[in-house]
Amino acid sequence: MELRRYNVLRLLILRLTPHSSNTSPQQVPQPIIVQHGLWRVVFLDDAVTRMSYAVMVLRKIFGFDEAKATHHMMEAHEHGRTIVWVGLRENAEAYVFSLQQWHLSATLEADETS
Amino acid sequence: MKRVEVRLSIAAVAPLLDLIKAVADELRVHVAVPVALVGADVDFAEVWREELLKSQREDCDRLFSLFDQEFFSDGVVAFDRDNAEAVLRACAALRLRFRGTHLEKITDEELEALEASSNMDRFAETEKKAFACFIFLDELQKIILKYLDPLSADGDEEIDR
Repeated sequence: MELRRYNVLRLLILRLTPHSSNTSPQQVPQPIIVQHGLWRVVFLDDAVTRMSYAVMVLRKIFGFDEAKATHHMMEAHEHGRTIVWVGLRENAEAYVFSLQQWHLSATLEADETS
Repeated sequence: MKRVEVRLSIAAVAPLLDLIKAVADELRVHVAVPVALVGADVDFAEVWREELLKSQREDCDRLFSLFDQEFFSDGVVAFDRDNAEAVLRACAALRLRFRGTHLEKITDEELEALEASSNMDRFAETEKKAFACFIFLDELQKIILKYLDPLSADGDEEIDR
């Protein structure tokens, strides 16, 4: 349980550091990817949340510029979902936690292409 | 640090606060957005949920701290960099909770139409009040978003959501 609590604290620390989206595999040590695979952070549409709020949160959490955040928001609006980040599971968990802390719906899914 | 004061109608807002508070109390034990963790163990999911609840509680407390003596005497609530984001999150959580509970019988299409016309003649009093809270929290979000980023385009009205 303590280890898990540590992991959540780690999530909280990670959320303070905006990252670029779609981190390229070259940025992550190859053996870790081979061992654990890549995970997607999928942002889901909901019919309640204000669009400008979603754009602001995507910018804040992922460091997107306005155009990129708006693109993702519109993709979620039109298709129900958009992949906003791909990378290691622990980092993906941190991003999903941050999105949920801002009350945006998001989920993790394995990147089958990795 | 820049502080923005907004004057609200006490007569319009004060009667909504008891219901908003009741829904905020529900958020002390229910997360606004379901925890969606694929492949996580039970302990981890529980710690995750606890942390989200803690965050929700703190945010709702910040929201209610706006409605202090100053509000009830002259209708003024004040935002600054210390409370704006927390209040914004609290509004988001409360709106989701209202939608999922008090307004759950209303379809998305009906809700959209209501947001445009606010004609609630055929709805029960409880739904009317919940909808008023829902709209008030949205207005509060609009004000804060403008405060946080005055240059951002507010495209919500341009897109039929």
